[in-house]
Amino acid sequence: MKLHEYQAKTLFSEHGILIPNSRLIVDLTELEDALAVVGFPCVLKAQVLSGGRGKAGLIVFVRTPAEAREAAERLFGPTHRIGRLLIEQAVDIAQEIYAAVTIDATLAKGLLMVSAEGGVDIETLAVEHPEKIHRVTFDLRDGLAPYQATGIVYALGFDKNVSRTLANVLIKMAELFMRLDAELLEINPLFITTEGKIVAGDGKLIIDDNARFRQVEFDEEFLEEGDEAAREAHAEGIPFIRFTGDIGLMCAGAGLTTTVYDLILDEGGTVANYLEFGGPNYKKAVKAMEICLKVPSKVILIVTFGTIARADVMAEGIVDAIKRLKPDRPIVTCIRGTNEQEATTLLEAHGLTPLFDTEEAVKKAVALAKEATS
Amino acid sequence: MSIFIDATTRVLVQGMTGQEGRFWSEHMMSLGTQVVCGVTPGKAGETVHDRPIYHTVEQALRHHTVDAAMVFVPPRLTKDAVLEALAAGIKKVVTIADGIPLHDTVIIRQKALECGARVIGGNTSGVITPEVAMMGSFPHWIERVYKKGTIGVMTRSGSLTNEVTAMIVEQGYGVSTLVGVGGDPVPATRFAELLADYQADDDTHAVVIIGELGGTMEEEVADTIQSGRFTKPLVAFLGGRNAPKGQKMGHAGAIITGGKGSVADKIKALEAVDAHVAKRPREVGLLLKQLGVKP
Repeated sequence: MKLHEYQAKTLFSEHGILIPNSRLIVDLTELEDALAVVGFPCVLKAQVLSGGRGKAGLIVFVRTPAEAREAAERLFGPTHRIGRLLIEQAVDIAQEIYAAVTIDATLAKGLLMVSAEGGVDIETLAVEHPEKIHRVTFDLRDGLAPYQATGIVYALGFDKNVSRTLANVLIKMAELFMRLDAELLEINPLFITTEGKIVAGDGKLIIDDNARFRQVEFDEEFLEEGDEAAREAHAEGIPFIRFTGDIGLMCAGAGLTTTVYDLILDEGGTVANYLEFGGPNYKKAVKAMEICLKVPSKVILIVTFGTIARADVMAEGIVDAIKRLKPDRPIVTCIRGTNEQEATTLLEAHGLTPLFDTEEAVKKAVALAKEATS
Repeated sequence: MSIFIDATTRVLVQGMTGQEGRFWSEHMMSLGTQVVCGVTPGKAGETVHDRPIYHTVEQALRHHTVDAAMVFVPPRLTKDAVLEALAAGIKKVVTIADGIPLHDTVIIRQKALECGARVIGGNTSGVITPEVAMMGSFPHWIERVYKKGTIGVMTRSGSLTNEVTAMIVEQGYGVSTLVGVGGDPVPATRFAELLADYQADDDTHAVVIIGELGGTMEEEVADTIQSGRFTKPLVAFLGGRNAPKGQKMGHAGAIITGGKGSVADKIKALEAVDAHVAKRPREVGLLLKQLGVKP
């Protein structure tokens, strides 16, 4: 689960990492009060989960109430339709640095990465000057040791005063990463102010969905972006991605679904949506098809090769879904795996022509999609 | 021969009294796996499939000699179960749970490395030496997938494994041992770490890896081939070639960031060391034939 900047910053602040003075507003009527508290100059930051907000015009620096009003009207307006806007005091910046905590999968350790050159071009820096990003790993059972934090800040060449404060912030970041079961905790930029304070300029925090049971309750209402189909899929725990092509995928297993996606593109077809109803979701065929039917597509392609996710159970679900939902478009099935024979009999009894070869099924779906278009 | 598991491997099953544990233990035994006992806290004195159940692993080990532990417990309890097996000195563990917290998977792998133990999983079907023995949840009776043979298979995926393995079998091959390292971002054992075992196994004539976008496991395989520590023919199939950048498709591990971990990168790394990459599942079997691999 990816948190919004304001949610991440609230958690930072609660854990003793400084953040700029700010107010969150949900409509224009709250703007004036927020500006009165924050003051000028300030930054209006749209709270959306997609990256590249600056380049998309979703972060606006303003000096006057008129500028602020104009920007807020635009962001809340029909083009952007953002739901929440963070009004944040502009900080006097001496330097922007980059700091992130994540996992090193090979070493099986926490990984802290820091660079003295933060800001928007960190990915370019990572490619062109990897040596400028300093790394240190730590044991998740012990946390980041003070000597490790001290080591990395002195290696980066900070002076004595900044080093002490910065090392402290890095330790806090690692603590929070561990406490929240985070996949990623990134602060970019992390400001060093002209007064020598370390302040989080942004906050990216991804919490491990598998650890939700032992984590604090996050305000989820504003995390669901996208259309109705995406929200419904999310609520059901069904992996779903919306595209703009012709073929709706309803497959089982991440590997098989991505492979079917590859094969469709190889055949010159396009994908309307990625949907995976395998694993724990294999009994949710009706819901899966309901979601697929909400996406405009020309054909629905169902490919499975399940073991625990039994073919006969999935076929039963598909037959049930067709009966209940009466799909308005052709359905291609390729259901294999445990109890495949029973599955085939069942699908045939309900007028379907099951296929058994993935490539053949993909070709058929692409052909049907083309037929429907012409 | 095989790797990791054969007819002589004595297996303890953690969580054997649960629905899943009970069901798959029976199928492990029906294939020929030596299941010697089970562990479920609070259930000592009971039996499942005529095997005695103990409260703890340590207690079970006072009565049985055990080579490997099979963990059938829910994801939130998996870390503790694996650490219990490792603490008792068991050197081979398979854990199949899907949904183990990321930080738990990190600690499982860390602990396994410290103990010099081989833990396989999670988020996998486990390990199978077809027609001989298995630890995990494979429908071993599906003949067009689980056929004995000379191809070692390593995989990060579930359903894709069936798809690809069926194509290997279609070309007249079978599998020596199939290891599902699992679909988690931090699998306890990585592809490259298994290559030495396949290299040493005389019955494995070639290895197939079934990978996908994200992570660096396929690149590490390329490094191992480069170093000369693995010299048998290797064919890879990788899902997610056409995945749009920045999209998270399925597994948490399957994230492309900044070009790293993309399938294009992996293909480049593998082809640079003369490994073969199949574009479609069917090509895997055909490539093995072209390479003259003996069935």
